[in-house]
Amino acid sequence: MSGIFRLMRNKRLFILMIGLILFIALMGFTLGRTRLTWPEKFINDAFGTVQGALYRPVGAVADFFRDLDRLSDVYKENEQLRQTVAQYTQDQIKFNLLEADNKRLQEELNFTEHQKNMDNYRYLIAQVVGSTSNPYEKTITINLGSRDGVKPQMAVRSVDGLVGLVSKVKNFTSTVTLVTDLDPNSSRGTPVSATFLGKPDSFGIIEYDDETGTLQMTKIDERDKPDVGDKVITSGLGSLFPKGIIVGTVKSSQVGDFGLTYTAIIEPAAKFDHLREVFIVVVPEVEEP
Amino acid sequence: MKMRINWVILCALTLLVIENSVIPWLVPPGWSDRLLPHLCFIMTLFVAGFAGRHTAFLIGLGLGLLQDLLAYGHLIGPYGFGMGLIGYLAGLTAERKSFTIGFFVWIVLIGGLMLDSIIYFIYKLFRLTDLQFAQVFYWQVAPTAILQLFIALLLYVPVRRFLVKPSHSSGDDSPE
Repeated sequence: MSGIFRLMRNKRLFILMIGLILFIALMGFTLGRTRLTWPEKFINDAFGTVQGALYRPVGAVADFFRDLDRLSDVYKENEQLRQTVAQYTQDQIKFNLLEADNKRLQEELNFTEHQKNMDNYRYLIAQVVGSTSNPYEKTITINLGSRDGVKPQMAVRSVDGLVGLVSKVKNFTSTVTLVTDLDPNSSRGTPVSATFLGKPDSFGIIEYDDETGTLQMTKIDERDKPDVGDKVITSGLGSLFPKGIIVGTVKSSQVGDFGLTYTAIIEPAAKFDHLREVFIVVVPEVEEP
Repeated sequence: MKMRINWVILCALTLLVIENSVIPWLVPPGWSDRLLPHLCFIMTLFVAGFAGRHTAFLIGLGLGLLQDLLAYGHLIGPYGFGMGLIGYLAGLTAERKSFTIGFFVWIVLIGGLMLDSIIYFIYKLFRLTDLQFAQVFYWQVAPTAILQLFIALLLYVPVRRFLVKPSHSSGDDSPE
């Protein structure tokens, strides 16, 4: 008993313990919260604006020097692009025919206005204004906020593919959690359902494995054995998340945890560092009856 | 010795902005999740050395919480706790010994290792990461601490010249 009192008399230790308790309470309280109070929003917006004034010009300069490095590859890249464009023109003709067909069939089957517009996503272009130096919060800040119609859980993509999800929305800026922070095994993250391009019935969930540092697609059915080089896209199951955003290509595959499913290791299509511009995908809203 | 605290705070806020907007571009692409220097933390250690433990504690707490707020994805508080605690401890040790540059090197190195370890254990406690400590230490904590040491040495002379008020009693003038 007297030992405890002697401990209490040591002021520093006592204050440290109180501080520890207060901070654990604060961390527990802020864990898994989506709404922000106005001081948080204000501070974030203020810093976001100032950061944007630095991040973008510095990024432009850095990109310029990186482009100089890549100058020798331009010829090869141009050749590749020319082939892709030729392919694209072919596909465009096919696509137009199919789209017209699809429209006619929808008309005949009396689709409601909402069903027709379900896949017409709107893209908001956002500039990245900062990233963080915290190794366990892989987030970037973008310069669109609730004023521009951004809502939590919206998908964010770059030109190349899926980048992440909007996690916290402020008035003028918002925070995006990167795909590399999605881990349904721990107490964080939202599962993103995915499918293979060309196998519409396949299904899997995108996860990130911290230990190996790879993106994975897990819980793939036995019948849909993933092949190396298959393109992985978001499937849109669960309706919150838009479909058809490229996630990456399959690098290798293995039998999953219980031998009943497959796990595919994915090479992400998008780069997650040195981002400058991203798109927020806005899914058309369901009108309440 | 005394510091110009208002200027220190202004500088720290500028450093925080630079940390979030310029540093990511300077780090080479493959190293972006390994080198994550905390410039504010270096500033806190300067404060601990030149202005005493209580000021360092308050500055560390404030800047840490601000940093947490800007990076808020899962938690608010790890950096507030870590930087406050280490600011105080660094101030405590700096008051017992004479504050030379050799001693400062050790403070930055050990402080950096401790801060990132504390952050790791907090995230481990809340089950937000399932990495092993040895791996994190090799992958991120050690390279970051070494980089922080270099940045701190770069900042040492400007901080001494512009932010530290020469004290009249000991005759310890600004560096020649």
